[in-house]
Amino acid sequence: MIGPGIKRGTAELAVLSVLEEGPLHGYELARRIEQQTKGALRFTLAALYPMLYRMEQRRWIRGTWETGSNGRRRRCYRLTAEGKKKLSPIRQEWAELFRALRRLTKVSHA
Amino acid sequence: MPDWQKLVGQRLSDLALDAAEKEEVHAELAAHLEDFYESLRTKGLSEQAAIQQTLAQVVNWWDLRRKILIAKKGRDFMKKRLHQLWIPGFLTFILSTVFLMTLLGFQPRIVGDGPNAILFCAPWLESLLFVGALGAYLSSRAGGSRGAALFASVFPVLALTTAFLLMFPIDLIVERAIGNHVDFSIVAIAILREGIGWILVPGGALLVGGLLVQFLLSRRLTSRSVAGS
Repeated sequence: MIGPGIKRGTAELAVLSVLEEGPLHGYELARRIEQQTKGALRFTLAALYPMLYRMEQRRWIRGTWETGSNGRRRRCYRLTAEGKKKLSPIRQEWAELFRALRRLTKVSHA
Repeated sequence: MPDWQKLVGQRLSDLALDAAEKEEVHAELAAHLEDFYESLRTKGLSEQAAIQQTLAQVVNWWDLRRKILIAKKGRDFMKKRLHQLWIPGFLTFILSTVFLMTLLGFQPRIVGDGPNAILFCAPWLESLLFVGALGAYLSSRAGGSRGAALFASVFPVLALTTAFLLMFPIDLIVERAIGNHVDFSIVAIAILREGIGWILVPGGALLVGGLLVQFLLSRRLTSRSVAGS
């Protein structure tokens, strides 16, 4: 299980990556992240929405009310052009971090 | 199924956003809880277990409210609120209490009946003009709105009102519990007298001080803008 500190740092990357696949409402977004990470990343409502609102304020994502096929209104989030631009450097940063950690682990095991 | 909309509305009723935005947040969070609850029920959980797990999505509603506010308005908003509202408000409260204690000689004293109750506190009432003015000035200087400045001015009486509202019912319960007869007409007169002496008149003095500062500040701004044009 991944600790809370690392989770905080990866949360934005997770949200942006999942939204890159298409617009989703909050609950579905949390479910999709949990599924795709096989339960390693889990968002409660209390953790998810403040982050979504913060990302919306930064204009990385945009939320709009939509009515689903079941007639229920849900606020769907989609990635904005700014969010797409932000995703690439965040991915790079994390890839670099993972590479560095892998190198470090190899060194310490040598 | 619980009314999630109502539950969220109650738990986040004092979310400091404008009405439409607050309504949106309530609806969105309620929808999330509803979906979560239904997914648990679909998995075969009993209604009670599903409700419990759904409620566990938010352990601390106060903290969630704070985080939503920071996310939507930024950290500066909370800082501004502290400087425009709470610091001037508590300062007026502390100052008015210190003045009163000084006048009463730091001894618990029964303030006389009737008109003497107000007369006795006349020097305190005069000091409240200054205290109210200071609260409004500090709030305005920190960029507070007119409402925030007036709130900071009259904060001591708001605190006193809360104390009164708590004190009288508790007093009644205690009197009843120890078997004393409670004459409601006496209680009503006491509430009226104390309310006038300790809330209305001091509140008026604080408000006058606050309004005076607002008037002076607005005049200064007007004269500056006239000079600048």
